[in-house]
Amino acid sequence: MAWLEGSALGHLMRESGVWTYGCVNLVHILGVASLFGAVLVLDLRLLGFWRKVALSAISEPTVRVAATGFIVAVLSGICLLATKATEYVDNPFLYIKFPAIGLGLLNVVALNSLSAWKQHKVREPSSRERSKLAVIGGISLFCWLTAITAGRMIGYW
Amino acid sequence: MYSRLSIFMSLGILVLSLSALPASAHHGWSGNFDEEFELTGTVESGVSLAGPHATMKVRADGKVWDITLAPPARTERAGLKEGIIPIGATVTIHGHRNRDAKRLEIKTERVIWNGRTFNVYPDRT
Repeated sequence: MAWLEGSALGHLMRESGVWTYGCVNLVHILGVASLFGAVLVLDLRLLGFWRKVALSAISEPTVRVAATGFIVAVLSGICLLATKATEYVDNPFLYIKFPAIGLGLLNVVALNSLSAWKQHKVREPSSRERSKLAVIGGISLFCWLTAITAGRMIGYW
Repeated sequence: MYSRLSIFMSLGILVLSLSALPASAHHGWSGNFDEEFELTGTVESGVSLAGPHATMKVRADGKVWDITLAPPARTERAGLKEGIIPIGATVTIHGHRNRDAKRLEIKTERVIWNGRTFNVYPDRT
């Protein structure tokens, strides 16, 4: 953390004007909104909403928007953290947020290992596979909601 | 239905986690005592106009206090720019102390230095 705060990025964040933090914070919110908005739609579909709409029709745009939002959120998040990194060391919400993000990413890996997901563009999942996909969708919602909640609370500690 | 149940569980967990929130310090005043608090000391490290809040450090009785000011743009509008108050200068900080006795932090309304008052929260007394 001390290294991050002392890095060139930390200096840049602190020394480029009084609106810098606010603007980077805005980018972070846009990234998080894109990630969560897309994830919410996909997860609800996995949980059984809108069965009439083909999963592939929903997965195509949501996965792309979520992945882009995630990258934007990570990059802007590192900038925000670098501003005063050492101040966050004993912030308990940080230790809820990052494991939740880690679990969310592991959940993405788990989803990508399911043959029902790998083949969802060419075939319909069986009913057993549908429940597996629903579990993944539920875990995903839980992880990202936890990450967002803890993330928002970091500033209120 | 199993799928609906998962959603209600997720929402329930969210609501529970929100209700268990601690008093806010960074974004509000409720993490600090209501009583006015005043501290006079010397500037340990000068005003930093870096977000989310401008900060400085003040040494008093051998202890270093974290001085939390307004957001950077607001602090600057109050005339409190970086480098104006030199390090080592005597300042008086007026604000509210953190409720946690172990945290030497003051959420600041005014900084008085050399006869000048920097009122970062003029609408607060």
